Amino acid sequence: MSERNDPLRVEYADGPSGLRVVRQGPPAGSASFSATFLAPAGWAHDPAGAEGTARLSSQLVTSGAGHRNRLELARFLDRAGATLTAHVDPESAEVTLWGPATEWEPLLRVLADAVLRPRFEEADLLRVRRQLLERQMRELTQPASRAEREMMRAIFPTGHPYRETGVGDPRSVRRVRTDRVRRFHSDHFTGPGSVLVFTGPVPTSAVARAARQLFADLPSEAPPLLELPRVSRPAPPEVRVDLPGRAQVEIRLAGTSLARTDPQFAGAYLANEVLGGAAMLSRLFRRVRSTGGLVYHASSQIEAMRWGGYWSAQAGAGPDRWSKVVPMLREEVERISAATIPGRELDVVRESRIGELQLSLESTSDAHELAVEVGYFGLPADHWKTWPARLRALSPREVRTAAEGALDARGSVTVLAGPVGKS
Amino acid sequence: MVGKAVPRPRVHSFQLPNGLRVLLAPLESSPTASVWVWYRVGSKNEHPGITGASHWVEHMLFEGSPRYPKGAIDLAVLRVGGELNAFTDTDFTAYFTTVPREHLAVPLDIESDRMTRALITDPEVERERTVIHSEREGAENWPEFRVEEEAYSLAFRVHPYRWEVLGRRVDIERLTPRELRAYYGKFYGPRNATLVVAGGFDLRTVAAEVRRKFSRLPASGDDVSVHDVEPPPQGERRAELRGPGTTPYLQVGWRAPALDDPTTPATMILDTVLGGENRLFHAGAAWGRAAEHPSARLYRALIDTGLAVRATSEWRPRVYPDLFSVHVQAARGVTFERLEKAVERVTDQLARSGPTARELDDARVRIERGAAMAYEGASRTGFRLGYFAMLRSAEFEDDLFRRLLRVTRTQVRDRAREMFRPEARVVVRYTPTGGDAGE
Repeated sequence: MSERNDPLRVEYADGPSGLRVVRQGPPAGSASFSATFLAPAGWAHDPAGAEGTARLSSQLVTSGAGHRNRLELARFLDRAGATLTAHVDPESAEVTLWGPATEWEPLLRVLADAVLRPRFEEADLLRVRRQLLERQMRELTQPASRAEREMMRAIFPTGHPYRETGVGDPRSVRRVRTDRVRRFHSDHFTGPGSVLVFTGPVPTSAVARAARQLFADLPSEAPPLLELPRVSRPAPPEVRVDLPGRAQVEIRLAGTSLARTDPQFAGAYLANEVLGGAAMLSRLFRRVRSTGGLVYHASSQIEAMRWGGYWSAQAGAGPDRWSKVVPMLREEVERISAATIPGRELDVVRESRIGELQLSLESTSDAHELAVEVGYFGLPADHWKTWPARLRALSPREVRTAAEGALDARGSVTVLAGPVGKS
Repeated sequence: MVGKAVPRPRVHSFQLPNGLRVLLAPLESSPTASVWVWYRVGSKNEHPGITGASHWVEHMLFEGSPRYPKGAIDLAVLRVGGELNAFTDTDFTAYFTTVPREHLAVPLDIESDRMTRALITDPEVERERTVIHSEREGAENWPEFRVEEEAYSLAFRVHPYRWEVLGRRVDIERLTPRELRAYYGKFYGPRNATLVVAGGFDLRTVAAEVRRKFSRLPASGDDVSVHDVEPPPQGERRAELRGPGTTPYLQVGWRAPALDDPTTPATMILDTVLGGENRLFHAGAAWGRAAEHPSARLYRALIDTGLAVRATSEWRPRVYPDLFSVHVQAARGVTFERLEKAVERVTDQLARSGPTARELDDARVRIERGAAMAYEGASRTGFRLGYFAMLRSAEFEDDLFRRLLRVTRTQVRDRAREMFRPEARVVVRYTPTGGDAGE
């Protein structure tokens, strides 16, 4: 495989109006391509009083664009064997097109239409608004969603974009009209701060040329800057939400963590894999499920984003078992930074994660996720190529130091949502 | 069109004297190798008292065998960067492991060890009991699970499709380790298994390795056919559930034919026209995809009109006659009566006139497009080859594909007319008790 086509190494190029272009070679034997447009259009940018705008806007870009209304667009994509999806988080919105590699040019044109010429029709807004209102209710009443919501609200202060889940409330969502969605979209889908990531059997020069041509109308003004409040408020020790009639309690232990570009990230990543990230190899899985037999799922994660991050450990347990599970989660989180991980345990998890990188190259969409991460965070082009060496260079002591900062159990919050009874 | 086949990698198949069927698909450039063992054992082989046994055995096969004591299977696979899991269905159970290609010997050794010699000890069964309880509790937190379980128990009174794969709560409480071992000993063996290996490997080397490791296993595995035949429904069956939440759910189901019925292709097209999905030939993820399909009939009739926030149909071909379902999540303030009438209008319309020429053409094109990209990567290839082997055979995929492309509007209309009869319908309504947004 030539270096140029190695999917673990991307190439950067310049697009129009400050747009950054990232191109990744396809996995071996792949017949498809993926292209993602990432824009600084997450719900952190929701206008005050109109929370939910970012989610509505991202849903609507796939509901008709350019000369195709929603039905025409859906039919075109279906007949091409392609999919167009949108996703939004606090920081960004991403629109992804996946389809046969032979059709990459006409399909990339569809992606450009979705980004530059979404139709934002009134009937579509009414439909996605109804769906968002329903999601709001589900977030309050479904134990897993409710636990996530309370967790974010407990660890981030009022005004912090990570505190919210972007669904707004009934009043704010009803306030969002098509003119507001249009304005939000044109303010945030701009060249500066946006990235186009392409995975497929097309040379970088051709992708860059197509990007310059298809995205030439991108506004070149930078989106408005955001001021983030400092995270200094100590989290409350426990939040309990009684949802009677449910079968299981969802448990979350959580606290703030580091940003993706933090130099300590690699060490924190490994510490989290030992704690609960590495599925059946992890301490949480082994203690709470394999040995304890108390739960079906127990895991942990670090969500490291641009402006900061958070860690969480989670499990779901029946009404008669959750009180045994909570101290186990807490003890394991404390232990990960209180004691150095034995070298053998660390080595097994480390080699597992390094080997797993190869599994990410099975399909275009899997490999594409690696390139999106590189492009979004502006990581070096050879980030994934050098990742194994960087992980192997970390000593147990360095991993512990990283864990102390990134998986700190002090000041963390415990959230319980489900049939916990009145406190 | 008659000669069309699904573009898939070349597959080498053989059968060992002990009955094990083997499918090998070398993918020269693949960096990974994926090993799948499919057993024709699923919840269809259980009976009241031991419901959930297949799923429980699935868990136990990760808990120890002679060469791999507890924890060793996970460790052996994960330490080389592999991933492993399993799933249980009504008609089959599948265990899969994908590893970097140079480690292919690891999963082959594990599967040969646990195919007939899993330990299933008393303490491990007891410990796993709460894990399985917990898995079921997690599912019960979702109203959709409760609705689906009720719909199947209404639709089937004789056939084992009437219970959920996870098993009934009472059976999870009482099933004994001895019963579990007996169930495993009876059905799990080479005669009921298909081994699929896909990915970057040398064919001759791996074929020899498979023969060496699996030929020594005994020719075990009792007949897994089900002889209970569900009688035709004599009238509509209904259930009203109440439970926590704020969203009303509706499921309407009709008895649908088994996989080998000549009308299967028309039923699949009907599913595509109604709900927008084609679960076997589609672009995207391995098994179905959770995308919205604005051109689908249910979408236009229920979501575009503001009656529902989600509406789709679902039918998977199974070995025995199953249920074709419509699932609806209501919009705020919409009554069940309005929803049911809207669903009935859609099904009546299809029974009267069938799909339009354009709908049928769209469905065909999508099937062709989906088939063209169905085999991407070792894991997906292993899944797909094994799945069709469980349904019938790899050749069956081609046969079904060709028949799908030949379906006519009249055949779809006739299928709708035959299936969407009110007296053959089950209806489950889920009324949320509401007012419990937590404190």
